[in-house]
Amino acid sequence: MPATNPAPDPALKLEERGADLLAVCFSAMASSCELLLPAADRGVALELGAVAAGEARRIEAKFSRYRDDSVVAEIHRSRGAGAGIELDPETASLLDFARECFELSGGLFDITSGVLRGAWKFDGSDRVPTAEAVAALLPLIGFDKLRWQSPRLWLPAGMELDFGGIGKEYAVDRAFHLVAAVREAPFLVNFGGDLRANRPTPRGPWQVGVERPDSDRQAAMVLELERGALTTSGDARRFLIKDGVRYGHILDPRSGWPVHAAPRSVTVAASTCTEAGLLSTLAMLQGAGAEAFLEDQGVMHWLLR
Amino acid sequence: MQLKTTIECGAGASRAQGKIARRRLIAASCALLGATAARSQDATNSAADSLSDAWAFDSALAYYHESGRVKAIEPIVNMSKTYGDGRTFSGQVVFDSLSGSSPNGALTSTKVQTFASPSGKSLSAAPTTYTTSSGQLVSESAPIYTINPGQLPVDPSYHDQRLSVSGNWGLPITRLTQTQVGGKLSYEHDFVSVSANAGISRDFNEKNTTLSFQLNNEFDRLSPIGGAPVAASDYALFQKGGGKTKDGVGAMLGLTQVMNRRWLTEFNLSVDRFKGYLNDPYKIISVIDSAGDTTGYLYERRPGTRTRKVAYWENKAAWGRLVLDGSLRYMADSWHVRSDTAEFSVRWWNFDRDRYIEPTVRWYRQSAANFYTPWLDSTGSKYIDYASADARLAAFHAYTVGLKYGAKIEDSEDQTSSEFNVRVEYYQQTLDNRLAGPGSLQGLDLYPGLKAILVQVGYKF
Repeated sequence: MPATNPAPDPALKLEERGADLLAVCFSAMASSCELLLPAADRGVALELGAVAAGEARRIEAKFSRYRDDSVVAEIHRSRGAGAGIELDPETASLLDFARECFELSGGLFDITSGVLRGAWKFDGSDRVPTAEAVAALLPLIGFDKLRWQSPRLWLPAGMELDFGGIGKEYAVDRAFHLVAAVREAPFLVNFGGDLRANRPTPRGPWQVGVERPDSDRQAAMVLELERGALTTSGDARRFLIKDGVRYGHILDPRSGWPVHAAPRSVTVAASTCTEAGLLSTLAMLQGAGAEAFLEDQGVMHWLLR
Repeated sequence: MQLKTTIECGAGASRAQGKIARRRLIAASCALLGATAARSQDATNSAADSLSDAWAFDSALAYYHESGRVKAIEPIVNMSKTYGDGRTFSGQVVFDSLSGSSPNGALTSTKVQTFASPSGKSLSAAPTTYTTSSGQLVSESAPIYTINPGQLPVDPSYHDQRLSVSGNWGLPITRLTQTQVGGKLSYEHDFVSVSANAGISRDFNEKNTTLSFQLNNEFDRLSPIGGAPVAASDYALFQKGGGKTKDGVGAMLGLTQVMNRRWLTEFNLSVDRFKGYLNDPYKIISVIDSAGDTTGYLYERRPGTRTRKVAYWENKAAWGRLVLDGSLRYMADSWHVRSDTAEFSVRWWNFDRDRYIEPTVRWYRQSAANFYTPWLDSTGSKYIDYASADARLAAFHAYTVGLKYGAKIEDSEDQTSSEFNVRVEYYQQTLDNRLAGPGSLQGLDLYPGLKAILVQVGYKF
């Protein structure tokens, strides 16, 4: 909480965005992050920024796949252990959430699909993996292959967990709650384009520009958001092109291959970032059926093909 | 497009009546966030990895050590960027630091030999006075180094630093045609090189075939310490001029063919031609009498032009977790140097495909330049057409064995990966066509080979 954490964070940058809007900027989870505060005092802004940044970094450190001291690394070290591993309440609720998502999406959303990165490198090249390389990874994918009896998890050898698909959205919601606990006045948390606001600014709704996925910094549309969350999923710059076929980075965990005819980007509005992020990701995974899926969900959305 | 949205947690549920997935998702999100919202903030603030999204960096630190001779430390930074519209940029920065000993070209002798170091900054600083070719009287502290009997004459104070910066821009013209321009600048305290290149490539056959053509132009300026020696002049006379230049043009024709999903083949033909001052300003040749004693030294003299033709063929194949790479190269130049290179490597990925080892073998042989001579005979004319005792122009064969290990470090948020790698190579060179020396030189090892170890540590991100 701000009162107990008064030390200024040198990694925070305070920016003035037009009249009467302060932005506290920092980077976390490989994204540019910001906390936007209209009509705020600079000292208060830095204090609240430290709260948001602290939470983003805590979640990043805890769920990072490439830090030895992360919970994910600890889970991976427990692979094949007879006693499994006992998870802390936060990790356990994320795993519960991941199981729900896996089940309600019929296996389309799967936090065990990260092993596919061993075959797919979306670097704009033409290095499409062989069918054999992809097929060899499929036995290691499937949330239903692991045993999860909260709070104990048994992860089979060779399998991996990856909270990347929900981590950033979860972090926005967590930071949002921590800031909301100490601030009534309007604010907006934005972690790399996934954002959530508590109430409109004194001048009206928040103006949110959604970038076109295929051009640099060119806003395609401006949305007005009073409160709630907006997330965008897209395969803008991550793809392979081989023999004239574009392979987007949205992989179907059931086949191991990119989803055919996935939209370029999907933006979804929902009450929380976690929910919006799941809906936009699931919509991408529907490929050609993205529009129909979003219509069915009765959710406000913007889609670019 | 302007739209308003006002949503509260749970408010969407009624709107999504009958939509099982949405209801369950909302319930799950609320459960997750409700369960964790009350939890107090953890005090751990980790420094965030602010990896650049659009740029990929590839940096390496190389350590090269020739047995008893030159050491080099070479940090390399490669950058590449692909823009949304298909344009690409790639760049490389290399900083070399070489130090140690370098053979000066003179022959091993049974006597003590003394040389002035042109490249050196110090050894013994005995002031000497000499007359330059232009008649000026120059006095300077000439660093002297002595070589004991039976030892190969090497300049022990060899020290050089090189900074090289290059960039390449690719620009698609149509879906199948791409142009490319690039440039390179290389700087050493006694050598500056500027080059530019331009090329065009076109894809055929559903992008399975790529044909490319490239032109290069290079301009070099040499400013050796003490001036560039007059070619074939007597080492003792210090006949040195100022700086010298050389320039080159080259062209390359390339064909890349995707044979099938697992096999790629590439064929290149190139030709280049350099003209100007092509001597190595620091290399000399021993003049030997019939008893095997050294009577003096001459600076080397090479022809003023050199034309090279190179043919190169490379195959890459993927087979399960193995990536095989084999290449053959043939080079012929107007100095009658012919060389063959064969190289083969296998990259072997582990099951998770996040680590690999890559053994490499390379075999090389070349014939000597037609003016290469390990020494000059004092009974012959002191005037020479062309002569060089530079071992790099001798007939020799060499092999390299190497092992590379790489490990990937992946970033799940960004779907980017970085790679750490270590490469160790051992190089051994053996001179061929060993002519026995006259008189006292018999029994001396006049053709010491070269052994070198290269250690390179790299990080790509």
